[in-house]
Amino acid sequence: MSGVRTRVPPRLGALVLGLCACGAVWAGCLTDTAVDPDALRVAIPLDAGPLNPYSGSSSPLLGLVYDKLFEPSPYVPDPFPALATEALQLDSLEWRVRLRPGVTWHDGEPFTAEDVVFTYEYYRDGPPNRYTHHVSEVPQIDRIVEEDSLTVRFVCGYPCPTLARITLADLPIIAEHQWRGVDQPRSFVELPVGTGPYRLVDYRPDRSYRLEANAAYFLGTPAVRTLVLPVLPNASTALLALRTAEIDAAVHEVPPELQDQFARTAGIRLIPTSSLSIIELRPNYHASPLVDPSLRHALSLAVDRQSLVDRVFLGRGRPGLRGYPHPDSPWTDSTLRTPYDRDSAGVVLEASGYRDRDGDRVRESAAGTPLRLRLSFNGAEPGFLRLAEMLRAQLAEIGIAITLETLEAGALSDRVSARDYDLFLSEIGAHGVADPDQFIMSHRSGYLWRRDLPYPEWDALFEAWKAAQTVETRLEVSYRMQRLFNRQPTSIALVYPEHVWAVREDRYDGWRESLGYGIFQKWSFVEVSSAEPADAPGRTPRR
Amino acid sequence: MRPRRWGALGQYALVLWVAVTLNFALPRLAPGDPLEYVIGPEFQTLTVEQRAEVLDELGLSGSLPQQYVRYMGNLFRGDFGVSIRFGRPVPEVLADRLPWTLLLLGPAFFLAFGIATALGVFAAVRRGGRADAGLLTGTLLLDALPAFWIAMVLLAVFSVRLGWFPSFGAEPLLGASSALAYGWEVGRRLVLPTATLVLASLGHTFLLARASMISSLGEDYIAQAEAAGLPPRRIIYRHALRNAVLPLYTHFALTLGGLVGGAVLVETVFGYPGVGRLIFEALSARDYPLLQASFLLVTLGVILANALADATYPLLDPRVRRRRQRGS
Repeated sequence: MSGVRTRVPPRLGALVLGLCACGAVWAGCLTDTAVDPDALRVAIPLDAGPLNPYSGSSSPLLGLVYDKLFEPSPYVPDPFPALATEALQLDSLEWRVRLRPGVTWHDGEPFTAEDVVFTYEYYRDGPPNRYTHHVSEVPQIDRIVEEDSLTVRFVCGYPCPTLARITLADLPIIAEHQWRGVDQPRSFVELPVGTGPYRLVDYRPDRSYRLEANAAYFLGTPAVRTLVLPVLPNASTALLALRTAEIDAAVHEVPPELQDQFARTAGIRLIPTSSLSIIELRPNYHASPLVDPSLRHALSLAVDRQSLVDRVFLGRGRPGLRGYPHPDSPWTDSTLRTPYDRDSAGVVLEASGYRDRDGDRVRESAAGTPLRLRLSFNGAEPGFLRLAEMLRAQLAEIGIAITLETLEAGALSDRVSARDYDLFLSEIGAHGVADPDQFIMSHRSGYLWRRDLPYPEWDALFEAWKAAQTVETRLEVSYRMQRLFNRQPTSIALVYPEHVWAVREDRYDGWRESLGYGIFQKWSFVEVSSAEPADAPGRTPRR
Repeated sequence: MRPRRWGALGQYALVLWVAVTLNFALPRLAPGDPLEYVIGPEFQTLTVEQRAEVLDELGLSGSLPQQYVRYMGNLFRGDFGVSIRFGRPVPEVLADRLPWTLLLLGPAFFLAFGIATALGVFAAVRRGGRADAGLLTGTLLLDALPAFWIAMVLLAVFSVRLGWFPSFGAEPLLGASSALAYGWEVGRRLVLPTATLVLASLGHTFLLARASMISSLGEDYIAQAEAAGLPPRRIIYRHALRNAVLPLYTHFALTLGGLVGGAVLVETVFGYPGVGRLIFEALSARDYPLLQASFLLVTLGVILANALADATYPLLDPRVRRRRQRGS
């Protein structure tokens, strides 16, 4: 048979080509209108839903469409007035907020006090979302009163001196005429109506967003007319597409090993930003042995954070030597220190009765239980395996034996919810580590502590915090809370990561960082200086 | 209807019920909580009442048996629920993705099958020769390479270095001037993912085709045909290949059913909006309604393809045809 020549039947090839042609014609039938060829194309890693506070509350894209009363966020020392023009503290419980006149929603309806009252009541009383406890609990806003069409009064249940600088700079305002009657907001998929610099005009779930500049934006017309945001989950593909100029920027971090290569590529610029996040080691404070605060303190002392930054993150980022919350937050005590001191860790353990009684290089408690702990982490997180291995080695040096456990994200989440862990690795973002209200809330929710667990020292500080009537006294109490926390940490800050983004500077070069949001947010397209009207003081007026 | 067909229908119904029940159970057995996706990391801050409220809103309240009864009832009414991740009715979400998956996987499947079968026959005919050894080594090597790796190599060469093809997506990002231009751009975006799928899936079919053909070529009737002096081409195509095609057809039908499930890795790497990527996204978000419906879609695809193979097999194999005729 060796002399026989075989060939692919021509009909097969024709069939395949025919199928492809049919597919192309079918796809052609779905064609849409061409958009502006000068549109800025920014690849995003994840779909954020139809951009409303219930579908993508943590997405910076939300800010393109919606505004807050104060901007840009609670993570800066002095948020500037945006939808508000001023906020006046009437007494310890009440604030009067004057709204910006002449602002319209994307559909042309006027923005009024009704929208503000509706928004805050909807977040507080409607279906719960990420903002709910920032109206109902920390702070506790009992009443939102419309005084006239451009004035709103907030009445708190206990003193709320930081309302303007934190809460009003955190919650996006939604349109009452669009949201009234929406009782299932998570299945509300209408395109959003906001007041922001961009209007979402086309949304294809998990595929792309198209936003057009709002020419009537009250802070001036945005610098880029059209934004096209393809959803591209794979970071490698996104960075390749940036090199081929198919996109102009990517909301994907450039990994340290690729940064030199990108820095040498013509037309591409690397922009480092503070992530305002913390890579943390979380001990299980609910169960023995980590219920013991001295053991948690010893763990914090025993971690050589600089070596973690050098070896796992190749020097990108800062060691977590200034504790928790994030040191870049204006609300964090600048004197906080969480040093690496292995000898002191040993002393703390000895003093608490943890000694190696049988010579196996693992300490035992006074009751004879060896210090063997399980460190769980999500294996899909870049660098976490190496991080866990280094922590195991470092903790072994003070007589704590660590077993590593790699889990899928969902499995880890289940473990955490069930409190079935000793230690786990995690990264927590700006809202968790830079918003002082969230620091309080995290001590009530179970993230950093649980409200039903006795903690007299904390409880006393919490009562003092609630009673504080000025920003200064509240800050003073907050600093005491932070110092207490870092002495008995339920989250040990390991690294303050730095994020590096790549953009095509030949296409657009107006990128600006907004702390906690990176560069892919509205302040890259809107002049910040124009945000402050001539008659408005830079600082929030307070009485 | 004849009793045998009733029996077959009963079997399919049983398989479908088991599959539907597993579809309900599997997402719930997986670890993770949809609330974490819906609310974000702050989901732990919800009170018991608030959690119940959100679960009720998502249609996930009540005990598992209650949820199962509600799920089966909704299924009978054709109500597949609302996707937790996308907030839209599940059939709408799937209908948006299915055409893209079929557009990608259909040509890739037929191409891979055609090429692998042709190569398998070619190699079998030259068994032991250099061409056979080369093809065997090459296809086994391709089979061992992960699809995402092949995809990244193709991207680096044909997209970055040569600039011939776009690197991601299914449609031109900024639209197109005409339907024809749009179709052309869609076609260009199919090339690299299709090539990846073809290269990554050649091995299995090639081996099957080669083994099946070698087996056929070793049969007595082939020796008899050669002794009778029939032309080699006729022996291969009319006698050996017709018999060798039977196991290939079974493989073809079973694989065809799985097409609607998409190709997770390739769709993810190329940012292609297919069902495979959708299932992965649904899994990440613990989107139970979407997962259930996606699994059901795949199940139905496999059952239908199986039924199709069952119904058409007698056309290819006269022995089965005669047996069925005798049985009826």
